[in-house]
Amino acid sequence: MSDPKKLICHRCNRELELRKVDFSYLGHTFYTDLPCCPECGLVHISEELVRNRIAEVEMQLEDK
Amino acid sequence: MADRHVLRRSWSVCPVCLTTVPAERVRIGSEVYLCKTCEQHGDFKTVIWRGCLDFDAWVGEEPLPLQHPRCPGGCGLCRDHLRSTCCVILNVTDRCNLNCRFCFSDRSHNSTDPSISELTRSLEALIDRGKTLIQLSGGEPTVRDDLPAIIRAARTNGARYVQLNTNGIRLSGNRDYVRELAEAGLSFVFMQFDGTDDEVFRQLRGRPLLDIKKQAIETCAGFNIGVTLVPTLVRGINDRQIGDILAFATAHSPAVRGVHFQPVAFFGRIPRTPVDADRITLDELMSEIRIQTGGRIREEHLLPSCCDHPLCGFHGDFVIDRDAMIPLLRRGTSPGRCPDPAAAEKNREFVARRWLRTELQQGGAGECCTDIHDMEYFVKKVRENGFTVTAMAFQDAGNLDVTRLRRCSLHVFDNGRFVPFCSYYLSGWSHENAPRRH
Repeated sequence: MSDPKKLICHRCNRELELRKVDFSYLGHTFYTDLPCCPECGLVHISEELVRNRIAEVEMQLEDK
Repeated sequence: MADRHVLRRSWSVCPVCLTTVPAERVRIGSEVYLCKTCEQHGDFKTVIWRGCLDFDAWVGEEPLPLQHPRCPGGCGLCRDHLRSTCCVILNVTDRCNLNCRFCFSDRSHNSTDPSISELTRSLEALIDRGKTLIQLSGGEPTVRDDLPAIIRAARTNGARYVQLNTNGIRLSGNRDYVRELAEAGLSFVFMQFDGTDDEVFRQLRGRPLLDIKKQAIETCAGFNIGVTLVPTLVRGINDRQIGDILAFATAHSPAVRGVHFQPVAFFGRIPRTPVDADRITLDELMSEIRIQTGGRIREEHLLPSCCDHPLCGFHGDFVIDRDAMIPLLRRGTSPGRCPDPAAAEKNREFVARRWLRTELQQGGAGECCTDIHDMEYFVKKVRENGFTVTAMAFQDAGNLDVTRLRRCSLHVFDNGRFVPFCSYYLSGWSHENAPRRH
């Protein structure tokens, strides 16, 4: 991640750790490393990732 | 005798005199026919579906037939037309450096080309700045030495994409010419490519051309110009090479961006009046793609056209990853968008996204992960090695259906009008009846 700030799970008060996370869309599954809470599994998805990578994956998979 | 069941009423033309006549889509056994009667020339019946796929599911819902269609006589876009322009064709010459057995544009090889100033006026009139995908066509457009200037004029006037429809002969090994085209702003090339052996080219084009085609692909690749291969499929000549053409194309990804199949339609220059056995229907083509690719591409990976009528074409979207061909679309899973008034614009962006080569595709350095399920790798591969399998089934005097024509988004620009492709090139079959020209 480009953001050097620590991310803390608001519920468990644990620092998030990079873990492999699966995404499914229209029958396809992808993974990428994202900050996750080691306790409860909460995943932090940055706005940058949503606006760039995830939006592009969606566009590439969607029919015209 | 098989049951005869009328599926829909529509309108067509008499193949002889081209008069608009009532028509019916009729299911007979597992096949579907377009049936019509001309008071002067009699009954006509043309196969449009062979029952390899469920016809009703493929076609979906359609608007009610027109009561008194003006189509196709005097066609330009009118209030009854249901689609805006996706791609617009501008013919820059009638001349050609081949003399093919089949040619929808059966024009005089000695005619005078429109001048660059005439073409510029057309470009100014037809281009919707920042949106238009223009196809430069002919004849063979590369017989013009000033083609780079025409491309530049299209770009200057705001064309978003400029596509060249060509047989590839002049591009082959001619780096200086291709460089000029690229620098002028050419986006991508649609190249006639009928088979993987020279016998096919001899029969369809009159001379061996395979090496020329291969070299044209290589020359275009040198300037990052994507090439989509366009086979005209003719029964008994190259309909057994569908799998070979796809294998050739995928082996040449990313230089080759896809294959655009065109089952032969019988307009313009044709060797003889067709019979049903000459026709390759869309469902038959999809079935053959599955059979001839050993199931790598299956019918479920190919979706009906939204931009045009479902009987006019299909599209499949894939990623080539080493030896694998990964389908991105699946019928029943991918959300359908029909009917969508913005279908033409969506289609334009979809095809351009695949047919364009991006700067990223120049090199392949430093891949840390090569698993297609890795999001970063997937995005990189789909940009670089995205691959389309598409088809367009043009209509001729035998199978022209006004219901389909009304949804045409491929338009020829001529004399200030946008004319649906199949209406523009429609020609009668008898020798006495001169082809109608706009």
